[in-house]
Amino acid sequence: MNVESNIDVRKAIEIINKYPNEKRYTLAILQDVQKEFGFIPSEIMGVVSEYLSLPLSDIYSIATFYKALSLKAKGKNIIKVCNGTACHIRGSNKLMEEVTELLNISPGETTDDGLFSIEIVNCLGACALAPVMVINGKYYGSMTKEKAKTIIDEYKGASVNE
Amino acid sequence: MKLKIDGNYYEGNSGETLMELAKRNNINIPNLCHKKGFEGQGRCRLCMVEVKEGKKTKIVSSCVFPIKDGIEVSTNSDNILKMRKNIILLLLLRTPNNDYVKALANEYNVVPPKRYLDINLKEDCILCGLCVKACEMIGTNAISLVNRGTTKKVSTPYDDASKDCIGCGACADVCPTDAISLKDENGKRIIWNKTFDLVSCSRCGKHYTTKEAINYVNDKFNLQEETICEDCKRKLIGEKFKESYQNIY
Amino acid sequence: MSNDNESRKKILVCCGTGCIANNSYDVYLKFKDKLKDTEISVEPLIKATGCNGLCEKGPVVKIMPDEISYFKVSVNDVDEIVEKTIINGETIEKLLYFDTNEKKRIRFHKDATFYKHQHKIALRNIGEIDPLSIEDYTEREGYEALKKVLFQMKPEEVIKEIELSELRGRGGAGFPTGSKWRTCSRYDNFPKYVVCNGDEGDPGAFMDRSVMEGDPNTVIEGMVICGYAIDSHRGFLYIRDEYELARKNMQMAIDNARKNGYLGNNILNSGFDFDLEIVRGGGAFVCGESSALMASIEGNVGEPRAKYIRSVEKGLWNQPTVLNNVETWANIPPIILHGSNWFKTIGIEKNSGTKVFSLVGKVKNTGLVEVPMGTKLSTLVFDIGGGIIKDRPFKAVQTGGPSGGCIPKEHLDISLDFDSLSNIGSMMGSGGVIVMDDTTCMVDLARYYMEFLSEESCGKCTTCREGINTMLKILTNITEGKGELDDLDLLINLGETITDASLCGLGKTAPNPVLTTIQYFKDEYIDHIVNKKCTAGVCKNLTSYYIEKDICIGCGLCKRKCPADAIQGTAKEPHFINMEKCVKCGTCYNLCPTGAIKIGGAK
Repeated sequence: MNVESNIDVRKAIEIINKYPNEKRYTLAILQDVQKEFGFIPSEIMGVVSEYLSLPLSDIYSIATFYKALSLKAKGKNIIKVCNGTACHIRGSNKLMEEVTELLNISPGETTDDGLFSIEIVNCLGACALAPVMVINGKYYGSMTKEKAKTIIDEYKGASVNE
Repeated sequence: MKLKIDGNYYEGNSGETLMELAKRNNINIPNLCHKKGFEGQGRCRLCMVEVKEGKKTKIVSSCVFPIKDGIEVSTNSDNILKMRKNIILLLLLRTPNNDYVKALANEYNVVPPKRYLDINLKEDCILCGLCVKACEMIGTNAISLVNRGTTKKVSTPYDDASKDCIGCGACADVCPTDAISLKDENGKRIIWNKTFDLVSCSRCGKHYTTKEAINYVNDKFNLQEETICEDCKRKLIGEKFKESYQNIY
Repeated sequence: MSNDNESRKKILVCCGTGCIANNSYDVYLKFKDKLKDTEISVEPLIKATGCNGLCEKGPVVKIMPDEISYFKVSVNDVDEIVEKTIINGETIEKLLYFDTNEKKRIRFHKDATFYKHQHKIALRNIGEIDPLSIEDYTEREGYEALKKVLFQMKPEEVIKEIELSELRGRGGAGFPTGSKWRTCSRYDNFPKYVVCNGDEGDPGAFMDRSVMEGDPNTVIEGMVICGYAIDSHRGFLYIRDEYELARKNMQMAIDNARKNGYLGNNILNSGFDFDLEIVRGGGAFVCGESSALMASIEGNVGEPRAKYIRSVEKGLWNQPTVLNNVETWANIPPIILHGSNWFKTIGIEKNSGTKVFSLVGKVKNTGLVEVPMGTKLSTLVFDIGGGIIKDRPFKAVQTGGPSGGCIPKEHLDISLDFDSLSNIGSMMGSGGVIVMDDTTCMVDLARYYMEFLSEESCGKCTTCREGINTMLKILTNITEGKGELDDLDLLINLGETITDASLCGLGKTAPNPVLTTIQYFKDEYIDHIVNKKCTAGVCKNLTSYYIEKDICIGCGLCKRKCPADAIQGTAKEPHFINMEKCVKCGTCYNLCPTGAIKIGGAK
């Protein structure tokens, strides 16, 4: 089990209280928690379980079923490489190879400095721009290996300057 | 309602599933995720049968299919047997070292292609979901089905000792493939990564359940049960009957 | 004043996801800034990706009423556009669309070959309105159908009209919509629910996204009409997690609709109540399956259930529920307004109306295309799509996504309709059409789909969970050169069982990509298994590159660009690839100006 000490439980309670305590809001609550903390901290899972009067095991099932939710903290910059069919056909594999090489981690992992996470994701619906990469919600289309390097360097540089 | 199964007619009630009707009439439809007292789940797919309704034939899972008047069911056509073998094959590929699945494979002459059989695989769980249902029915909800796809498994949250688990062992009891590890040793029970102290029977001294399980039942039904094991309970009831008869005669 | 509005210049800057990725928003801001104190209005406009076929050629800017369309507009072009086109009425040649079929520049996108074959019903407003403006919607007959329904039609008449139109569900299965509504209306069990399936998970499909982003009101209107027809007062819009802009626009449209009396209590003083709520998906393709979707709305994991009792009888919270796809909803208002007879004049027998296809992959003009049912596949790929990129040979298209099948050259003339497509082992699905050329490996394609499905399977039933995983293992072996001929029989055999015994549509249709590629491209499978060769050059273990000495002119381009330094040779002499160093990236193959580099099998 994760042992996190810096989780602002009060903030979590604020988020949770925005919803009625009905089972059907479970996913929505967890989505908001995910957005705030970058993952679902275990103590927050307990709070949600109490709030909704649902067994902890149910909340855990939901948190592990839906890919939008994560039990592990993600990097500051989340790089999503689309592996939809159109992107696949237009070489998303090569793009993935380049990105994983540049950052020295595999998809699903986070860099040691906590700056980047790589995810392989399903079709993002921007197929005409294949292959597509999204960083922190910003879309980058018609990707090539060179473009990937340039863009990631930009993010690296931006983090240094903060 | 009246329907035909493998050439014979049977009477059934509206709302019944095919599996329930079959079991009542001692018709054997193989299954792994069905159990008496539990609602049909449709997980294992072993209970697939052919149903002819009017002109259409379809393949349904008998554990959840509600019976209809006039249907004709086939539980062992060539088509169904072929399907059944393939389903057992898939289960065998998942749990190649499990005795129950291996027995099923023997019964149906299923021979897996060697190059896809991983003989070192130690998996026993076929994800029938009965353990989760049992825990749910008891009210403890300590375990659940986690993840999705091939990584799906049964576990407690984070695989940690769960505060909701009372060590009753109902999950291990209902498991069709003996996949749940329940170790009773030296006065302790270990299950789902949690260690419990076992309670001994006040009559015979045998270790039989956990304090948590006893307390749970007492709390739920407002009882103050004596700590007596099942065997001694039966003996006790037998003795009480003997007493009553002796008093009458 | 209204006359002025008509002759007023409008500059429509596409701000769909595609164009935004190419900085169209900056273009929009620059226009706004430049034209701050003039009478020219600058409207941002969300268009379907590929509204003019080409979000690859975006940002797209349209100038009305002049009917001029500019492509690949950058921030630096804005000044010139304002000066030359807006003030002086001149067109800027280099920004006009170059039609690859006509081989000339086109002034207004609607005259391009890409556009000419299209008939927009579901996409009728995309690219023409600001989706966040309810006035734009009502100016183009928006909510007129709802008014007609509420004040001139009885619920029974509404159902009848949809039945007569023979509209079939656009989500994939093609179930008759009117029939669905009618069955649901018969159950005397309240409350009833209306649900929109906005979970568009098929890789390669983005038509639902475009409708939700670009014309959210048409979905709202369709759902309210259904509510009236089946006596339901509550609706849910399930929108997948990845579609943030769609959710945002949909929510704004709902808020605006409420403010204007089109949603909520006593809609337009008709006495009819109906309201809508958005439910956000959690990143699970299986939640596009209707029973899994409903389980998800209820707060559970997205596990489907057997549908021996259908959702129209027991759906959301075990109540009668009508669930339809976004594109289906978008067709409802036009059908009500213009009539079922009108709808039936479009399309073909038993497949009325149009279908939106997302044409993607190795085709020159990619984007969303709405054509009448019955249009030929060849028209879609070659006329509208402009043919294969670099004019390489056509190999196949995949329709229906991971649930569909591949369609090879010999069926290029096939009519795009529900029945024709399922008759050859594929299916319409959401309308994704992925075009492939000779550089696509069909075995790898089947493996790719199994990989996708193995992660998306909910894991509930044995056949889908274990079956897809086993097919994936077999296909992976084949692509790595470890396949055996027995594998093909095993795939077909298992495939049949998986189709028959799986619980839901995901499992049942999972074997389709495998079975159809084996059916139409068996030789390619055999090449992989027996000859250890991948002619498309995709499976690394089964690919090697070599240079034909007779064709090589010794230009040295390959040597310079090779990332592994694996090519040797002197200028003007035939070059040579060192197999030991070669990483098989294919860069040389793509660059060679004479086609001297060939693909061989495993070495």
